[in-house]
Order: sequence, then structure tokens, then C-alpha cells
Amino acid sequence: MVKALDRKLMRDLWRMRGQVLAIALVLAAASATFVLSLGVHRSLTETRDAYYAESAFADVFADMTRAPRSIVARVAAIPEVRRAEGAIRQYATLELPGSSAPARALVISLEDKRRPALNRLTLRAGRLPDPGQPGEVIADEAFVEANGFPLGTRLETIIYGRRQSIKIVGIGLAPDYVYAIAPGDLIPDNNRFGIFWMNTKALEAATDRTGAITRIALTLERGASEAEVIRQLDTLLAPFGGTGAYGRTDHVSHAFLDNELMQLEAMTRVIPPVFLIVSTFLVYIVLGRMIRTERTLIGLLKAFGYSDRAVGWHYLKFALAIAALAIVLGTLAGIWMGRGMTSLYAEYYRFPILRYHVSPVVILGAAGLAAAAAGFGALGGMRDAIRLSPAVAMAPPPPPVYRAGLIERLGNRAHFSVIGHMILRHIARWPGRSAMTAFGVALSMGLLFATMQFVDSSRTMLDSFFFRAQRYDLMVTFTEPRGQDAIFALAQLPGVMRVEPTRAVAVKLRLGNRTERTAIEATGDNPQLSARIDRDGREIALPTAGLMLSRQLADKLGVRAGDRVEVELLGGRRTQLLMPVGSIVDEFVGARAYASAAALDALVRDASPVGAALIRIDPAARQEVLNLLKDMPVVLGVSERNAALRLFERMIDDNLFTMLFFYIGFASAITVGVVYNSARILFSERAHELATLRVLGYHRSEVGIVLLGELALLVVAAVPLGCLIGFGMAQLMTAMFSSDLFRLPFAPARSTYGYAILIVLTAALATAAIVARRVLGLDMVRVLKGRE
Amino acid sequence: MKGAARDGQTPAFRCSGLAKVYRTGETEVHALRGVDLVIPAGEILVLLGPSGSGKSTLLNILGGLDRPTSGTLLYGDRDLTAMDDAQLTRFRRAEVGFIFQFYNLIPSLTAEENVRLVTDIAERPMAAADALGLVGLGDRRDHYPAQLSGGEQQRVAVARAIAKQPGVLLCDEPTGALDSSTGVRVLETLAQANRSLGTTAVIITHNVGIAAMAHRVFHFLDGSIARVEQNAAPIDPAEITW
Repeated sequence: MVKALDRKLMRDLWRMRGQVLAIALVLAAASATFVLSLGVHRSLTETRDAYYAESAFADVFADMTRAPRSIVARVAAIPEVRRAEGAIRQYATLELPGSSAPARALVISLEDKRRPALNRLTLRAGRLPDPGQPGEVIADEAFVEANGFPLGTRLETIIYGRRQSIKIVGIGLAPDYVYAIAPGDLIPDNNRFGIFWMNTKALEAATDRTGAITRIALTLERGASEAEVIRQLDTLLAPFGGTGAYGRTDHVSHAFLDNELMQLEAMTRVIPPVFLIVSTFLVYIVLGRMIRTERTLIGLLKAFGYSDRAVGWHYLKFALAIAALAIVLGTLAGIWMGRGMTSLYAEYYRFPILRYHVSPVVILGAAGLAAAAAGFGALGGMRDAIRLSPAVAMAPPPPPVYRAGLIERLGNRAHFSVIGHMILRHIARWPGRSAMTAFGVALSMGLLFATMQFVDSSRTMLDSFFFRAQRYDLMVTFTEPRGQDAIFALAQLPGVMRVEPTRAVAVKLRLGNRTERTAIEATGDNPQLSARIDRDGREIALPTAGLMLSRQLADKLGVRAGDRVEVELLGGRRTQLLMPVGSIVDEFVGARAYASAAALDALVRDASPVGAALIRIDPAARQEVLNLLKDMPVVLGVSERNAALRLFERMIDDNLFTMLFFYIGFASAITVGVVYNSARILFSERAHELATLRVLGYHRSEVGIVLLGELALLVVAAVPLGCLIGFGMAQLMTAMFSSDLFRLPFAPARSTYGYAILIVLTAALATAAIVARRVLGLDMVRVLKGRE
Repeated sequence: MKGAARDGQTPAFRCSGLAKVYRTGETEVHALRGVDLVIPAGEILVLLGPSGSGKSTLLNILGGLDRPTSGTLLYGDRDLTAMDDAQLTRFRRAEVGFIFQFYNLIPSLTAEENVRLVTDIAERPMAAADALGLVGLGDRRDHYPAQLSGGEQQRVAVARAIAKQPGVLLCDEPTGALDSSTGVRVLETLAQANRSLGTTAVIITHNVGIAAMAHRVFHFLDGSIARVEQNAAPIDPAEITW
């Protein structure tokens, strides 16, 4: 048996279904974004942790030029090292059948017949390579899928300057290449970069490294000091050209994954709260109005003997019913989008299984937040309902007191029409609600702007990184550092227009007790194919002496221009010296250091200063140049700038625009919810006045102005506020989304403000039009029969 | 039409066979059952009758707020039944002053601004201050309705109704919410408008005493006019008591 009061509740919900739905949609957006971002975050974290544990992902990594395999036992003997394992890693060039595009490979040694103890390969298809067949490899899944290679595919490679045919006999995944990215890239190019696992003996033979390794990975005992192990490891590996050991945080695949998780967490912290705030305010104004109109009824209920608590609970249930609807809608939407987003992630991050896992904790969290937001919004109305004494409640409410508002007093009163006075005084009569309406619309605009400017941000980064900083067409890396003769040789190739040398030297930079592992990059004098661009788009020239640090690196070290930092050369002669920091450049990508070629040569003092070459080619001769490069034994790999650019653009188009599409919907829901509820409340408060105006001979359109004018004024007032909120929110979000890998620029296009305004105004206008139709249907006679 | 002298001949309204049927769900309510009447210009008319006898329905139809289900209604020589919504709105704007039992003032506007609501859109309005002066509220023009007594509010409503110098004043229980002396003041201002502006006034009331100030009294019963009384010598409202 449903109690009478509950029956009233259900009828109220149905009668006010438009408003209830409008609030529920905003609150559902809060639940959806929460379930989406936190759900994906948890799914990714849990998947990663399980995968790392199951496949024994190492804690510390160290690369070296070449060390005897016996070093592994010595590393394992370092206190607090649990297990160590050595391997050979070798970059190579790859010829893809039917394609002239340069492709790169990373070939990693695989212990014969034995599963590696660390960074274990998961075999997805096929089998392990036969030790008797040197050309057999396991290929990483992303590469095989992207190129559509079946098992048994044979590929031509040039490993360590030697042409070798390989055959894919198995397909695998490894925890250290979840994000399989080629050196220098930002986004995995699964078509042009493949990871292959080859039997150790075969790879030793192919790279002249019999009994030697180039990488050590190790795990630590629980509670071990990573820094201390790294220190000892560096000392141990220094004679073998160690380039500095590093932990997971500096491991590229892990760092990108971590970056993604950090961004998801930032989303969870910024976006759902916006919707929660707006929902709270909507519940507050709608319930407040409901209780004012039900004043007499509340008095009656109390006179009948309903307790204050029963009356308060009745109205709280109204709010909670909205929350319940929102939770159902939001959770379903969140799960749906979470699945979509997870499968997007699965394209970039390769796990054996990556599934969106709906955690009950996340849903409970979302439900709790939604109920709390609605309940909090109901508090004001409940308090009013509880405080009303029956005798007071059953008497008509005191007439509203109006006076000229601030705007009117400031301005010249004579300039306003009477209708203008009505609008302004009504706003002034309900300043809190008016402010909340404007603030809600402004928040919606701010959120829109803050999400839409990510496209500008990414495009600015793209422009800065690919067009202004990288001005070459191809980057050629060599099997080992070369002399200037390599540059001359490349310059001789037909179709090559300009060649510039570049090199990167692994170093440790130290200031006080802060140490950072990085590389100092240098280009030839007067470089034209590369530049350092700061966040304002200016090209910053290299200091003639000393270093230039990216802002990211400088901040990590606590370095300012003019300081002197200790530079420790890694991977060869262990030199330490002090170098001045000449300037700092605000870059978007990475934490890097630069020096002039002369300064770097003086530091390294070797005869082979060329690590790679930047080339500009005649576009018409691309094919020919690529073919010629392929046949040069000194060439380790060729990367094409345009390919990286296209990947980046595709990432913006696919991911960012998908995300934007959802957020435009969500943000519009706020505007619709706020404007619809405000309009309905306005209409219910003013129906009597509007009918009076109609009786006095005002046309429908003129009467509509009273209603829509007030809304329009509030929405227009929201525009500058929305721009401000968007400006602040966007800065906060770009800062929160920035990591060691990227600093997102805050560089909104002016048109983005325009689009945000346009979308909000359109949503507001469409919503107002729906309510305005009620003005047209106003029954003057019925409204005027009674008093307000 | 406007300002026509009361000659008892020129009709302000002429209606014949005027019927109004309200349908609510299954039931039909016959609010007016074929009313024939002529309202001469410049007269004061009182409609008397019990609740639900059709007075208000007739008043709303005369004022262009509602439409008859059948029958004809002429204002002067204009056919109100043929007008669309916009034309009826223009008719109200130009010709009709309404006064209601519960004033229907806009609470956010001062007395003067409430009057200006009408003078802003009328064709030949008097100044809002003058209209307030006519009802004796010249000194209270900057007060909001909440700051005025019931009688004062109703006089603002009267000022608002007469400010456009309407052809006809339609009053639905104008004194219903007022005490006797305040009610009399309101009636005096109505009579004064009738005298000085030649405005036809139709007053609905339950108060039989008020009938004494009318030139004609229509008695309503069950949606029809049961009886019409002519009053050769209407008395001054000041002489009315209840």
C-alpha cells in the first residue's frame, strides 16, 4: 500500500517530469564522467598491475654499449636486487613488402627454450623460435595487426649493417613495450615500427656480440632503495659504456602509460565536480520553488499531524528520486563510454587483455556523489519546509517586496521601459537564483571551452614540434657515431637538398642533491633543419658556450639561467665537469638539454661527432632517396617526419574529437538543465503577471520578452563570466594534464571562445523556445480567476 | 466610438444569441445560453446574479479575453467574433479597460509604472501621473503595490484602466475585496470616468446596492438574462452603503 504522501511524490515527479529530467541529465553527466574516467582509470591500473606482476616487469633498467654476460651475476649480487637478467637490444631497419616507406625494428634477444625471468613475453599465437633456425622471430602483436602479416611472413631486415631475412613464427606481447614507441616518437607507429624477439645465439651472431649483452633489467627486493641500486649499478656498468640506469618512472612505455593514468585522474577531479555543483544548485532552486508553491499544503499536512521530519523527508525523497534516475542513466552512459574509451586505449596500449571492468566501488562512489549533491541541494528547501508553522503556512505568503535594483540605481532610470523595470527588478528580487543561473550557464561554457581548447593546445604543440622545431624530412640514424664523412656521403645522394649532423650524448646533470638523467643534443653550426622553439613560438638560439635546458628539466633540477650544473658523461669516458646554463627554453615535449656542436664536442672530445643526420629532400625524389638509404650499411634507421605528423593528426582527429563530441553534449546538458529549470520557475512565478499583460493588450511576443528577456540577460551576463571560468579551467586542466613527457601549451584560438559561446547560446535559445511555447498557450482567464 | 456622448441610442456592444459552452472532459457546461443584449455607449451597467450565472463569461467575451461558442457580438460596427487573436489583442489595447477583484497589479512595478504599462502602448493615453491624480493617488505614485492598501491598489488598477481613455471599462467585482468606504471611493472614480470621459462601464457585482448607480441593471440566471431594469435616476456612489 503506497502511502498518500508517496503517491503525491510520484505525481509530483511526473507532473514536473521536464524539470526532473533536466536536472537528472546534468547529474547523470556527473555520474557518467565519474564512472567513465575513474572506471577506465581503475581498469587500466588493475590491468597494468596484474600484467606487470604476471610478466615480471622489471623495476630498474640499464643500457650499455656492450658488457660481458658475466656482469649479470655481479649485478644480481648488488644488495636489494632480487633478480637480474641481461639481453641484447638492437635497432634495425626493416623492409616492408610492397612499401618503400622506411620502417624500423627493435630486435631483442630471447633465451633459447627458456622463458625470460623478467619482462616475460606472452605468446599470443604461433610458437617460440627454433634455436636451429636463426632467422625465426616473434613479432609484437601491434605491428603484425597493423600490417596484416600472417604467421610465416618473411621480412628483409638490415641488422647491424647486415642484410638478414627473418620469419615471423610467433606473435607476442611484453610488459616493457605496452606502449611500443620508436625512439624520438610521441605516438606508436605500429605500421613502421616493430619489435622482434630473436634467439639469443642468433642475435649474438647477427650483432657480433657473442657472450655479450647491451641491457640489464632487474627487480628489487621489497622496500629497496631504487636510487642506491641505480648508483651501484652505474658504477658497475660505467666501464662498459653504461648510459645510466633508470627506474620505471623513466621507462618510456611505463611513463606514457602513467601519463595517461594521470590525465584520467585529472579528469575525474575536474569534470564531475562541475556537474555536481550545477546539479546541487538546480535541485536547490527547483525544490525551493516547489516548497513556496506548496506552502499551504505543507501547513495542512502539519495540521493533520505529519511531523516536521516527515515533511522534510518527503521533499528530500523528491531530490533523491532525481538522483536515482541520474545514477541509472549516468552509470549506463558511463559504462558505454568507458567501453569505447577502453577500446581506444587498447589501440595504443597493448595488454594481453584490456577490458573495461565495471567496478561496484566506482558505481557506488558515483551514486554516493550524486545522492549527496541532490541531498545537499535539497537542504535549503527542507529547512524552509520544516520551519513553516502550520498557522503561518496556511495564510497567504507576504507579498514580495521589490525595489529598484543596483543596475537601475546606477543607470538612469528613465532609459528603461516598464518591461525593462519588470525584468531587472525580478533579477534583483532573486539575486541568488539569478546569479546561480548565470553561473551555471557560465560553468557550462567554461567546461566547453576548457575541453575544446585541447584541440588548439594539441595543434599548437603539433605546429611547434613538427613545423617549427623539426624542419627536416628524414632523420637518419647510424649504426654507431660517425665522422663528418657520413654527412658528406649523404649530401651526395641525388634528391638530397641539405644535410645537417646531430647527436645526442647521454649525461647526468646534477645541481646540489638533484640529479637528472638526460641527453645533451647538439646540431651543427647555424642549423636550418632543426630549431628550439619556446611556447610563444619564438626560436631560441643556442648559447655559444654552455647549455640550454628545457623548462621542464630546469624545473626538475631547480636550475636558473646563469647557474652552473655538473655534467657527468655517460656511455664511454666518464667525464665530469661544470657547465654554465646559458638559457632556458619553454618547450612542450620532453625534458631535454641542448648545446652547440662545439660545446658538446669539447665535452666529449671524440672523433666521431655525428650520431644522426637530418635531411631535407626534394619531395619528387623521396622514393629514390629512401631506396638509396636502405642500401647504405651505416644507416641504422630512417624516420620520416610526415609519418609522425600524420599519426599525431590522426590521434587528434580520432581521440580528441570523440572526446569533444561527448563533452559538447555534456556541457550543453548543463545549459539546457539550467535554462529549462530557470525558465519553468520564472514562468510559474510570472504566469499571473504575463496573463495580466495579455489582458492589458500586450501581444504574445511582447509578453514573451518579459520571460525570455530575463533569461537572455542572465545568459548574456554568463558569457564574459564563462570566458573567465573557461580561461581559468583550461589553464588548470592543461597544467594538470602536463607531465614529464609533455607540457600542454595553453594557446586557445579566439574562435574557440566563439564556438563555446555559440554552442551555449544555441542550447539556451532552443531550451527557451520550448518554454516560450507555454507563453503562447497561456490561458488568461484561468490564470486571472484567482490570486497568485 | 471613443468618448461618445451618452445618448442612450448609440450602442457600444450589440450581441445576439451569444452562447458559450465549456467542455471539461465528458461534461459540457453551458455558461451562456443565447444572450441578446445591447449596451448603449456612455452608460453604466451593472450585471447582477448568482455565481455561475454567466456574468463573468459575458464580461470576458465583451473584453475580447474569450470567444463565444456561437452568436454574434459587435462593438460599434466591428465584429468581435470574426477577430483573430492579434486583432482581439489590439482591440483590448485600444478600447478596453479591465478592473478585477484582486487588482492584478504587477508587484515589481510602482503605482505609476503600473499605469505606464498601459500608457506606453495606448493610442491616446493621458499622462500616468494624471490618471493617478484622477483616482486621488498623485502622491503615492512611487509606491509599490505591497506598500499600498487594498483600496489604494484597486484605485491604481482603476487609474491603469482609465489612463488609455478606453471606450469601455469592464469591472469584475471591483469592490469584492474592499470594505464599504474604500469600495465607495473606487466606485466614485468609476462614475467620474464615466461622466468626464463618457466611458461605458460594465460592472459585475454581487452587491445589490451598487445597482443604484447604474443606468441599467441586467439580472443573470443560468446563463441567460432573466430581467433588465432601467434606472432613470442613477444615484451618486457616495450615497451607496453596504
